[in-house]
Amino acid sequence: MKLIFNYIQSNTKHIPSQEKDVDLPEELKRRYLPLCDVNEIQIIRHYTELSRKNYGIDTNFYPLGSCTMKYNPRVNEDLAKLQGFSDLHPHMPASHAQGALQVIWELEDNLKEITGMDAFSLQPSAGSQCELLGVMIAKKYFAEKNETRTKIIIPDSAHGTNPATAAMCKFQTVTIPTDDRGNMDINEFKKAIGPDVAVVMITNPNTLGLYEENLSEIKDLAKENGSLMYCDGANMNALLGISKPADQGFDMMHLNLHKTFSTPHGGGGPGGGALGVRSFLEDYLPVPRIKKENEQFVFDSNKEKSVGKIHSFYGNFGILVRALSYLKSWGSDIQKVSQIAVLNANYLFCLLKEDFDVPYDRRCAHEFVISAKNFGEKSTINIAKRIIDYGFHAPTIYFPLIVKEALMIEPTETESKDTLDEFARVLKTIIKELKEDPELVKNSPHTTPGRLDEVKAARQLNLRWMPKES
Amino acid sequence: MNFIPHTKEDISKMLSVVGCSTLDELVSEFKPKLSELKIDNPLSEIELVSYITSLSEKNSAMKYFVGGGSYDHYIPSVINHLVSRGEFLTSYTPYQPEASQGVLQVLYEFQSFICLLTGMDVSNASLYDGASALAEAALLSSAHTKRKDVFVDDGLNPEYLKVLQTYCDGTELTITNTIDKNTACVISQTPDFYGNIKNPQGLIDMAHQNNALFINCISDPTSLAILKTPGEFGADVVVGEGQAFGIPKSFGGPYLGFIAVKQFLTKKLPGRIVGMTMDNQGNEGFVLTLQAREQFIRRERATSNITTNQTLLALTATIYLALLGKSGLQNVARASYHRAHLLHEKLRKNGFDSINTNPFYNEFLVKSPKPSEKIIADLMECDIFGGIDVGDDKLLVCCTEKNSLQDIDSYISAVSK
Ligand SMILES: Cc1ncc(COP(=O)(O)O)c(C=O)c1O
Repeated sequence: MKLIFNYIQSNTKHIPSQEKDVDLPEELKRRYLPLCDVNEIQIIRHYTELSRKNYGIDTNFYPLGSCTMKYNPRVNEDLAKLQGFSDLHPHMPASHAQGALQVIWELEDNLKEITGMDAFSLQPSAGSQCELLGVMIAKKYFAEKNETRTKIIIPDSAHGTNPATAAMCKFQTVTIPTDDRGNMDINEFKKAIGPDVAVVMITNPNTLGLYEENLSEIKDLAKENGSLMYCDGANMNALLGISKPADQGFDMMHLNLHKTFSTPHGGGGPGGGALGVRSFLEDYLPVPRIKKENEQFVFDSNKEKSVGKIHSFYGNFGILVRALSYLKSWGSDIQKVSQIAVLNANYLFCLLKEDFDVPYDRRCAHEFVISAKNFGEKSTINIAKRIIDYGFHAPTIYFPLIVKEALMIEPTETESKDTLDEFARVLKTIIKELKEDPELVKNSPHTTPGRLDEVKAARQLNLRWMPKES
Repeated sequence: MNFIPHTKEDISKMLSVVGCSTLDELVSEFKPKLSELKIDNPLSEIELVSYITSLSEKNSAMKYFVGGGSYDHYIPSVINHLVSRGEFLTSYTPYQPEASQGVLQVLYEFQSFICLLTGMDVSNASLYDGASALAEAALLSSAHTKRKDVFVDDGLNPEYLKVLQTYCDGTELTITNTIDKNTACVISQTPDFYGNIKNPQGLIDMAHQNNALFINCISDPTSLAILKTPGEFGADVVVGEGQAFGIPKSFGGPYLGFIAVKQFLTKKLPGRIVGMTMDNQGNEGFVLTLQAREQFIRRERATSNITTNQTLLALTATIYLALLGKSGLQNVARASYHRAHLLHEKLRKNGFDSINTNPFYNEFLVKSPKPSEKIIADLMECDIFGGIDVGDDKLLVCCTEKNSLQDIDSYISAVSK
């Protein structure tokens, strides 16, 4: 489709014309601005047409594992856009931003109750930035205790951002293999835990969609060893109102507000991150903190131990409004979310078990991983592309890395039984097609643009439009 | 509310397929069990709207003469309509390009816009915000030069400096005050936090003589419509905050971090990058590319840990730039410039001292003849948020095309009481 740079039209003039040029020294002035003018109607058509080339939750079932693609209640969009929030300047003094501070305060409060953590920072922009913040806190915590700890233990099923975070903070990752029940191998863990281990970073339920069965023992060993327990809480959609990570023994955890608390994923973001800690780590959280003094909310930047700051202002505030609204809608019924998320995943898992290889045959949490390895190499990508033809978004594929030809499926609680039945039927049909007409599947999708050449994209880089003039 | 479509019958049928008799039994493995949750009762939509609206109304509505990293530029109406389309809003990272051509093309256009404005070769598809984008640029420069010292020019936004310091502490980089053979990068903001437009040439040359990278940080990128591009000056990396491009102030987020580099740094970029390619029918299309840099493939050897980014804000900025176009963006910049210079002149006539040592764009620093707290309070009385108090009775004031001549007069009458 035509690029926005290829229109030459009249300008709609949202801003009155300014003929008078700026009075700046020539050596600071721009000589040439290579943008074009496009009229509003054309822009509406251009981006509306682009939107139609995109699957979203609103248009298609989107069972992308580990991403919690649940329905995003529309009312929350309106609430985040209320003028009192959207027009509020971040430098506004606390006295004139009481409503905004109350949003942050109440959200922190609810998250504390749900996770059992003692304090939250809502500054991080997403889960990965929470991890970074958590590891920075661990680093400072041990530095202050004069302990040299250089390692972070991470299971091999973990998301790539866990070891990437460890490396950013110059920790060495110790990778622990997964046992045949899908848990972090406890014997290997025992060998790895030692005085040089700063953090044990665990995703629970893990990325195989399985509850870590040895958590209690892992926690005891970590504590005895003086290591901090970090929970990657990307999968909290399985635990709301059912079990609290603090009770499971974690000292720190993050929540991905865009996942569990249903803020729209926006084509890749924005997200919202919430880092929770136990009280002994609270003083390390970024500033400013929000305090309540005489029924007034105030900023508190006076925290000597704080690691500092990780956002230009107070985090992705608009996402916090949506997350709080979502939480208020569910209120004390929130456990229903996780119960049905787990029911949907187990139901779909049962419908598909006969047809696929099942690497870990246990009851799953809110998602599950199956393998297409019995249909031959590359069959997962072929199945994923063929799923698109049937009007569904594909699951997460080839992740976790430890499962060959993996399909990671997270239906979420907002999908009906009918949708799950239909999805299972489609997968069974595709398997039949793989046997009867493999070319049909290999050449899919047929209903959207054809399969895109990623190798060519990486070899012959074309990352931007170039103006003709230059 | 209840966003679950299941009927009771659905649930019991599904439970029997799963082999459980109750939902509680289904989740009984998750330990330890929680006894009770102290959370308020659920709200219906009508109650929710009323409650959250009441919170929003506790914030004051003001006319803004304040920037400092968040700018009150006009947002054309079309943006919200397009950005709210569910196909964009409710999609995620385009892992399946065939089902995501919309977002992918938008990001390709975004990358192009950023390159065109900054005069750089390659942009990524967004980072979180201006401050963390700057920190990522410092990490990039350290990875490229294998050095650990970071030099920061005067006049960097103090909040950005705090974030940079935090990242440096965590990642074992050091902020120093010399430029030498240990310097990974030289960082300078344009215009700087106090509004000064400095010619960066001297610093760029110093950086390059020491084989360090020069990073230019941009806080209000509408300035790029009138200022010589960092690329042309010789910057190696340009980072900044894209909020000025149609994104609501929203108490500081979600905003839009951007990063653009010269060609030789392409493979060091953090985060998602979109590239053009062909499909199997020979049609042009787009995919995420250079993924071997990223955490989900490279794990501990990735260029960054970033996963979720700020795509919807990149979409917002792209539509903003398309709508304004060349003449619109120039009008924004010229109007912002002239309003700021008009207010500046009027303030000088009313006893304020001009402090800027260089030409300025739309933000400037003045010293107030009265205590600055009093000036700010007087303005607030008139529902004007009139500046950032930077201490010593100095005020950082900002104008955009939204500040009318009448607003400027109200400002002057409030401060000359
Ligand atoms: C298990 C897990 N950990 C961490 C992340 C990173 O979170 P975010 O994308 O919010 O940065 C993700 C998702 O992307 C994830 O699935």
